[in-house]
Amino acid sequence: MQVRAFSRAIGAVLVVLLAGCGTADGGAPDGVTVVTTTEILADLVRNVGGDRVRVDSLVPPGGDPHSYEPVPADAKKVAKADVTFTNHLLLEEQRLIKAIDANIRPGTPNASLAEASETYGAHVIPLVENIGLDVLWLGLRVRGDGKDKGATRTSDIKLTATAVEGPGAMVAYLTETLGKPVVYFDSRDGLSDTDSTTLPPAAHTHINWAFTKPGVYRLTLAASLIRAEGAEPTPLGTSTFTFAVGVTPAGVAKTVLAEGHTDLTIDLDSGELYTLNDVAGGGNQHVVAAADAVIEVPNKAIVTIPDDPRFSFLGQAGGTVHQLPQAVLGKHVHGEIDPHLWQNVRNGRAYVELIRDTMRGADPAGAEVYDRNARAYLDRLDELDAHVRETVSRIPRERRQLITTHDGFGYFAAAYEMTVAGFVVPNPAQEPSVEDVRKLSETVRNLKVPAVFMEPNLAQRASVLSQVAKDQSVDVCVLYGDSFDNRVRSYVDMMRHNADEVHRCLV
Amino acid sequence: MLIPALALLLGTQPAAVAQEAERVVIEKGHVDLGPRFVDGKWTVQLRDDTGGSPQWRALSDVVLHVPDAAKTTVPDDQAYAFLGDRGSAVWVLPQVEQNGVVWPGWNTQDPEVAKTVDREVTWRLHGVRGPGRFALFLTGNFGAPQQIFTSGATTPQETGVEVGTHVHGNWVFSAPGTYLLDVEMSTRTKDRRELSDRRALRVHVGNTDPRAAFDVPAAQAEQPRAESPEPSAGFPWPWAGLGGLALVVVVAAVVVVRRRRGER
Repeated sequence: MQVRAFSRAIGAVLVVLLAGCGTADGGAPDGVTVVTTTEILADLVRNVGGDRVRVDSLVPPGGDPHSYEPVPADAKKVAKADVTFTNHLLLEEQRLIKAIDANIRPGTPNASLAEASETYGAHVIPLVENIGLDVLWLGLRVRGDGKDKGATRTSDIKLTATAVEGPGAMVAYLTETLGKPVVYFDSRDGLSDTDSTTLPPAAHTHINWAFTKPGVYRLTLAASLIRAEGAEPTPLGTSTFTFAVGVTPAGVAKTVLAEGHTDLTIDLDSGELYTLNDVAGGGNQHVVAAADAVIEVPNKAIVTIPDDPRFSFLGQAGGTVHQLPQAVLGKHVHGEIDPHLWQNVRNGRAYVELIRDTMRGADPAGAEVYDRNARAYLDRLDELDAHVRETVSRIPRERRQLITTHDGFGYFAAAYEMTVAGFVVPNPAQEPSVEDVRKLSETVRNLKVPAVFMEPNLAQRASVLSQVAKDQSVDVCVLYGDSFDNRVRSYVDMMRHNADEVHRCLV
Repeated sequence: MLIPALALLLGTQPAAVAQEAERVVIEKGHVDLGPRFVDGKWTVQLRDDTGGSPQWRALSDVVLHVPDAAKTTVPDDQAYAFLGDRGSAVWVLPQVEQNGVVWPGWNTQDPEVAKTVDREVTWRLHGVRGPGRFALFLTGNFGAPQQIFTSGATTPQETGVEVGTHVHGNWVFSAPGTYLLDVEMSTRTKDRRELSDRRALRVHVGNTDPRAAFDVPAAQAEQPRAESPEPSAGFPWPWAGLGGLALVVVVAAVVVVRRRRGER
């Protein structure tokens, strides 16, 4: 052991001497020069590199990496860098990435942290393209063949809506292949035998579920078996399903159904009606009894009724409904990931490990320093992660709703069990539409959130959020997303602030 | 149904072989295209739910039949112009199950696939050989069609299928006859392996004999392309038939070995 440590020390001395020679030839006189795109990455590198590194962030303090455009001085910085770190193309303005790729000296390590950190255990989530589709996919299903009840392949199972209770009306309909809607159940004009549909045994289907006002709804479905065409229906069973439309589902029923795929299912063998669920990511289908389940129809499912007479059954064109859609493909951008990984501290940890190993590769003489610094910093990050988790867990679950200026907190929400209830625009470089603003107002009103969250670097772009907050008389609080400011100068401070702020503003 | 020549050639228990080599025409009920691991190898297959219990089939053993009952016309709506001239005939397998018509979807729900794949599977259409055009699209809530594949556009085209998901769309064909869809599914595993498999899916449109589609060799479906980006990803068309045969031989051998072990 001691011998090895000794020889390692000799090795380190040799490398330092060699590095010294390099300096004489015009290398980096003040240690290793590192360039990062953002301040957050620079802070992580500083914590790993300590005095051995000189770190520069291209995006200036308080700048927005989504929109920062490089200046000529940046090209010079990049050309002098011994190592560069970027986050991911979708975070930084494309010209910024290009400025690095074009000016970097050949052979210089250039690590793109977001994707590469996956091998260090970072948890990556796909980039949401259409938040309105990022909801539960709800269908109808007939399970089993019903042979013991005399069903055959030509039998039909009839599902009838016998009651809808709630603050508004519910309409379930299918838009057929070539654009024509067919209404299954419509409570606007009361319910009768026509509010029904039939499915063959072992079939399942997907339809749109629209609700005209926010609140809790209860839909009673009755199933009956029609053994052959023209035969009298034999009653099978009845159940009541609960929907939380635009309001928090917490506390409404034991199990919240909010994502993946669910079918309101008639089981031909037992005669029961229940929910059959499979969550994204695989696993087996599981049953949740109708009485134990609440189906979430969140505010991101608000849609505007089109100016098309075929859809007038939903209400006035230009009005809104909450609607679970019949098809959900396209909710994520194919092949792309949400770039804001560091909002989950465990991902920040993976970044640090990747930075450590990249620095060791670029500057082997400093390996021990990087190891030691990283170890100490990772311990701090573990404490930080525990603090954030504990702080958020003290907020009642139904109040853990995040409404922000841009879609930068998906990781925070996923890691610390909050809900992204809404944002002004997905990317801060975009302008909100009239519909976006209306949807945001309705979200704030329906959820009765006490506060919305603004990012300090996006203050000039937060006028929409401030106005909505003012109109709805709710507070505007501050969350740090992509950069620091005068008050928050480090990643640890930033995450600590975010946890404390959501607690302070939402409890 | 067993191909007699193969049974003779292999000289093994016909029942054991028939299970794997059976060629079927599917004209109603639910099927899904999807990847799974066959003897450890990533393979695009067809999950057949039309029988008593689900069964995965080799694409070379299946023809999806689209009868004339599925025939309709392109609506008078600019949004559907990609299907052809308004009023022209199209054969449609709808996104939502329609009685008497096969209901094809695609899924990434095989348990081993769900366990192995990192985030998503890329589904590519390399080309379509057939008497007319092919389109695959989704109908959203207010009817706006979302195109996934259209044979008129440049290929390959691709879409993402998140792991553990199951999707249905509208499959549209513009003329009767046999179509070969040259499809590939590829992915990256959680342990950073790149997997890919490319196969031909046969679809027969119209009320003529769908079994004729089995006679269209996959080799004809693909003209050798000038720019073949990754030779490894290319489908070895001429070997398709032999590949199927090899598979049968392997399966038969496994069956025999298992039986012998059982006898010991």
